[in-house]
Amino acid sequence: MTELAIRTRELRKNYGDVQALDGLDLTVDRGEFFGLLGPNGAGKTTFINTLVGLVKKNSGTAEVFGYDVEDDYREARDRIGLAPQEFNVDRFFPIIEVLEHKAGYHGIGSEEASRRAEEALKTVGIWEKRDTRFDWLSGGMKRRFVLARALVSNPDLLILDEPTAGVDVQLRHDLWDIINRMNDEGTTILLTTHYIEEAERLCDRVAIMDSGRKVEVAAPDELMARGTDTIDIGLADPPRTAPRLDVEGVSEVAVTDDGLSVTAAGGSQTAPGLMRELERQGHTVISLDIRRASLEEVFVNLTRDDREFAEVSA
Amino acid sequence: MNTNTIQFATLVRREILRFVRRPYNTFLPPIITNTLYFAVFGVILGNRIGEIAGVSYLQFVLPGLVVLGAISDSFENASFTIFHGRWNDYIQAVLTSPMSNRSMVTAYVSASALRGIVTSLLIVGVGLVFTSVPVANPLYLVAFLLIITTLFGGLGVIGGLWASDFDYLTVMNQFILRPLVFFGAVFYSLDVLPPLWRNVSLLNPMVYMVNGVRYGMIGVTEIDPNTSLVVLTGVTVVVLAIDLLLFKRGYGLAE
Repeated sequence: MTELAIRTRELRKNYGDVQALDGLDLTVDRGEFFGLLGPNGAGKTTFINTLVGLVKKNSGTAEVFGYDVEDDYREARDRIGLAPQEFNVDRFFPIIEVLEHKAGYHGIGSEEASRRAEEALKTVGIWEKRDTRFDWLSGGMKRRFVLARALVSNPDLLILDEPTAGVDVQLRHDLWDIINRMNDEGTTILLTTHYIEEAERLCDRVAIMDSGRKVEVAAPDELMARGTDTIDIGLADPPRTAPRLDVEGVSEVAVTDDGLSVTAAGGSQTAPGLMRELERQGHTVISLDIRRASLEEVFVNLTRDDREFAEVSA
Repeated sequence: MNTNTIQFATLVRREILRFVRRPYNTFLPPIITNTLYFAVFGVILGNRIGEIAGVSYLQFVLPGLVVLGAISDSFENASFTIFHGRWNDYIQAVLTSPMSNRSMVTAYVSASALRGIVTSLLIVGVGLVFTSVPVANPLYLVAFLLIITTLFGGLGVIGGLWASDFDYLTVMNQFILRPLVFFGAVFYSLDVLPPLWRNVSLLNPMVYMVNGVRYGMIGVTEIDPNTSLVVLTGVTVVVLAIDLLLFKRGYGLAE
């Protein structure tokens, strides 16, 4: 089997004048925990739905484990488990039967389907609700259930579209544990989320998408390193005006009540030189606090830059 | 069982369970409606009409009522299950699975045809309460019932994919199918019509279905049953091919 779980080239999809996917090139490695970040309308769900056949692409190619999602749709879909953002569950049957049916659609015989359904419900912690219909589950249980349905076919690629949207902290952590365990066992995870912290905490790499395009792909730490940190420096005798600091990486210096606030790329590398320069100028440093750039700030900057670029290009 | 068979059997089972577990919605209405038909048209009016084509009026209308129930329910089953699945998005569980388009279409049509046949048997059961039910040509009866329910299961798939609201289902069933069946010689013989209207009636495909089932039950028909069977089989093949094409293209299913 190919080492790539997902590979898209020049993937395009438009809805009338709206370009939902605009030549997307993306690769996700086998076994990777991959995050997809982007503002609303960035094309994340369209991309996911293209992989599972709910959206027909206009052009380009998309492959799952080397199988084209249209020409080899059966092989591609057999390897995917999808937990969508919107609930799309069969309301006619108790949830255990819904899982048995889903396993059957994947060609799993009835005995094995029942065993897997039980295992999936136990994994997400709602086994005692097995005879209940989906509509009667609480919001959190519904989220657990769609994850169970994605797991029941034992997929090689688990796609989670906003899996923790609107759930409480405890459930979020429970879901993270389950997803992490799946990934440790070798399942490739594709996660879209609005919670930057979630991507920071879970993902090996994240892609930032905007307007149907890939803006950036990197490890969360790598992306954060590209952001600017803030160094709060407490001085024994704060100056009235900002001093000139000729230190590499410093981009901005502002006076605060206690001293200075310095904006710099790579705060921890910049701090020693900064202290030396301040002492050379006769200041006494009494405290120093480095606030790292968050992925959220980097995300906002990247998507803003992309939009400004698009506007200028237009 | 191989993978394809398991996938197909799972979807058929799911479809059958859906209608079997809701008898008040699926099987009770045709039982009540047909009891009323038999009571009013058969017993009250039928006694004044006398015999048609050598059988009692009740026995004459029974095949037409069987066709009416069979096509209504097979069409309704397929159109409802597809449309409702689209409306609530749960059909996506099937669409995102590795099932082939052919398996999906065959499963939806087969389950719908089965429901039409079960309804037919229930109507025959109701008929037995009021009169004896002859079966003059059992092979023709089975063949016509199979082809009619398959055809309308296939048409129901198209309807379910085309519908964008519940109103569409009502329009198709009540305003198109039902009038065609009522003017399809269910309650009267074509011979009682003036020549012009008799010829116009022959343009109605339901006439061939009603006459085919009538031939199977009472051995009387105004149209050659073999020709009807060939034409209906041809139409069914075309409809199933359209179903498959629509699924392949994702019509009503994929954006």
